[in-house]
Amino acid sequence: MSAGDPLIEVEAVSYAYPEAAEPALRDVSLRVMPGEFLALVGQNGAGKTTLAKHFNGLILPARGSVRVAGQDTRAVATRRLAGIVGYCYQNPDHQIFSRTLRREVAFGPTNLGLPADQVARNVEEALRLVGLLEKADDYPFLLGRGERQRLAVASILAMGSRILVVDEPTTGLDLQGVRGIMTLLERWNRELGRTIVVITHDINVVAQYVPRTVVMAEGRVVADGPTRQALTDWAALEMADVKPPQVTRVARRLARYGIPPDVMTVDELAAAIRARLQSVSVSARREEA
Amino acid sequence: MKPDAEPGPRLETGSHGEGPSALPAPVIRARGLTYRYPTGERDVLQGIDLDVAPGEFLGVTGPSGAGKSTLCLCLKGLIPHSFAGTLGGSVIVNGLDTSATGPAQLAENVAMVFQDPESQIIGLTVAEDLAFGPENLTQPPDEIRARIPKLLETVGLAGFEARETYSLSGGQKQRVAIAAALMLEPSILILDEPTSELDPVGKGEVFRTVRRLREEAKVTVVMVEHEIEQLAEVADRIIVVDGGRIVADAPPRELFRDADLFHRTQGERLPQVAELLLALEREGLVTPADFTPREDEAVAVLSRLLERRPR
Amino acid sequence: MPVGYSIYQDRPSPVHTRLDPRTKLACMVTVFALALAFNHPLVLGALMAAVLVVGIWSQLAIRSFAPFLASAAWFIVLGILIWPFYIQQGATVLHVGGVRFTSSGVLFGLAMGLRVGLMVTAAGVWMMTTSPQKMTLGLMRMGLPYKAGMAMSTAIRFVPLINGERLTIMEAQRARGLDLTRGNPLSRAVRYVAVIGPMLVRALDIAQALAIAMDARAFGVRNARTSIIEIGIGPVDRLVLAGCAVAVAVALALRFLGIGLIARNYL
Repeated sequence: MSAGDPLIEVEAVSYAYPEAAEPALRDVSLRVMPGEFLALVGQNGAGKTTLAKHFNGLILPARGSVRVAGQDTRAVATRRLAGIVGYCYQNPDHQIFSRTLRREVAFGPTNLGLPADQVARNVEEALRLVGLLEKADDYPFLLGRGERQRLAVASILAMGSRILVVDEPTTGLDLQGVRGIMTLLERWNRELGRTIVVITHDINVVAQYVPRTVVMAEGRVVADGPTRQALTDWAALEMADVKPPQVTRVARRLARYGIPPDVMTVDELAAAIRARLQSVSVSARREEA
Repeated sequence: MKPDAEPGPRLETGSHGEGPSALPAPVIRARGLTYRYPTGERDVLQGIDLDVAPGEFLGVTGPSGAGKSTLCLCLKGLIPHSFAGTLGGSVIVNGLDTSATGPAQLAENVAMVFQDPESQIIGLTVAEDLAFGPENLTQPPDEIRARIPKLLETVGLAGFEARETYSLSGGQKQRVAIAAALMLEPSILILDEPTSELDPVGKGEVFRTVRRLREEAKVTVVMVEHEIEQLAEVADRIIVVDGGRIVADAPPRELFRDADLFHRTQGERLPQVAELLLALEREGLVTPADFTPREDEAVAVLSRLLERRPR
Repeated sequence: MPVGYSIYQDRPSPVHTRLDPRTKLACMVTVFALALAFNHPLVLGALMAAVLVVGIWSQLAIRSFAPFLASAAWFIVLGILIWPFYIQQGATVLHVGGVRFTSSGVLFGLAMGLRVGLMVTAAGVWMMTTSPQKMTLGLMRMGLPYKAGMAMSTAIRFVPLINGERLTIMEAQRARGLDLTRGNPLSRAVRYVAVIGPMLVRALDIAQALAIAMDARAFGVRNARTSIIEIGIGPVDRLVLAGCAVAVAVALALRFLGIGLIARNYL
């Protein structure tokens, strides 16, 4: 594959779970370039997780194709794809089973057949990156929820995969926990160049940290673009039953006063209001003059 | 060490220590509440004083590990009845001392809904789950059956009696849990982060249900939540718990003006409209009287602001 | 693994609505007794047909009989292949490699296969026509302590959940490169720790949370519990139970008289 090729290529994929009344994915196409950071949003049942599981071959498409790093997922075993796509499940307790953090993080890279010294290096680096290195020889079940979440992500990171899929990393976390994990993901994307796909319900997190958003509804992609654009595509959000952040909703309701609706943060809305008031006063002064 | 039981509800002073007034007696009164888990190295609760008035909707927020869940367990009486550890101070609910009152009587006064939708559902069908509490108290089956439809309607699950519980969505399960909690007709309902495992649809369902309970105003509600914007809409009063203590206690309109507090405790952010209005206030564009943490009110304030043409 | 809580199918048939779970249990035990009393394939075949008729009359889905009939077929084939080695009576049917397959032997083998098949099917019909809640309640009325009954119900309640967790955990670990398909059984079993470990922890977490939730709703504060599920022995039940008693008595009598047997001196 050359540098300009997509890392993940989903082409007209359809899929239905066995015994399900409705298809989970209908004719979905998606392209992810290396180094992108994107969010999959939508309600439960919209197909986000189903789509993400196609990336590492946990699910194979019924129709259409999925290519990861140039390889068709039907031709490669999941355990081989795990080296390219690291998939971190939502509940860290579905993964953790080892006696120490070190062993836990070593599980993935060991399964990939990496040599022992490489595994040890990856483990150290991953634990350092998530800020759990001092606890490397501790018992994982003594960690709090936020720390277990970081441990789960470190376990996937240590596999050295180019792509990280993280499923609902902020569930049950307080503000500090959310900030902790999202700044980690942001940093890995920026500094290490990892491609990151985050599946999440937390729209504020998406607005604040993630540059590209894919909105799904009933097995289809209804919006796909820069977050600012996707979260103001009202028709798509309506179809997906997704609410944009409060500031975005407020901005939309102030549209008739000339406030642009695509604000993603409080600062942006404050600036927009300020700008509007100034331009109004400027034009009022011009009228008087 | 069990504190002496209070002689019973009487006219109490308000929670700010003013003189005796005509305010109704608090349904919850905690004084000097401390608690340490059996294997704990320090007190999780470090001296909580709290009064909750009848019919009030109290929001509880704060960082993880602050002691919010432990506080809920103490108010419900599960600490000390189901947990060992060292409990200090007192909790009086409806005039009953939780340490000295039996679990059956407590269950008829205070009910609790927990965070995980799965592990609090006991019945194989919705009706059986709702019946679980009353069956434990040997209430007559006819009476139990008669109460079920009304409660299912309150939580928006009318007609769900025969549905198998495993097939319900997260939001539906939590609403079943709320209905089940209300079956014993408690005057106090405690909810410990009921929406944290739910998707936005489920969160909306639970908040709508809780809002309806508030409107019907037959129950005093204590709700721990991280969904700060939704909590601001529905709570009469919010306390912030940090490090086992209450560090703030005020109605939303007062509480969310204290941006420093939220930066310090790091457990929660302000509702975005609150942050926005504070920023605009600093620039003199709005006044303190305009401040609100609620979305519709904020839109009204901002509309008025933008409509004005400065001379 | 059942998709729901059990293989129970809710139907408006008389078997479902008019019989107490204890009566149905007694019927199943009666069928077992009759199956053991006779060893003639025609009698056992008739009994199997009767069980199937009851099942169909209960409006159960026809395909739900498939696994039971399949296992019956399997036992019949085994029976026909093995029993002729032991029973060499009557006319020779087949002579293969020095082994005589006699008519009695083959028929006895058929009977034994039918016997097991019919007992399995009767158990299946019982489970498909009796909800686990009513079963538990019936057992409690017969003396099972209510806390044990609650333990049973709770176990049933959590089967789909734990199974779901197992599947999720397997996927999560597969995503980390765990391979459960290759290697010898021993090494695969060792690798299964990566699935069993989180499952156990999850199960313990759920159990702990559940115990607190039950305490919160006053479980165990009284010596007994009421129940919104109703069961009770009525006149129809008494009739059926009497019929069962008569059937067992008659079967024992016939056994004693040697009727309905293809091979005496054998069970």
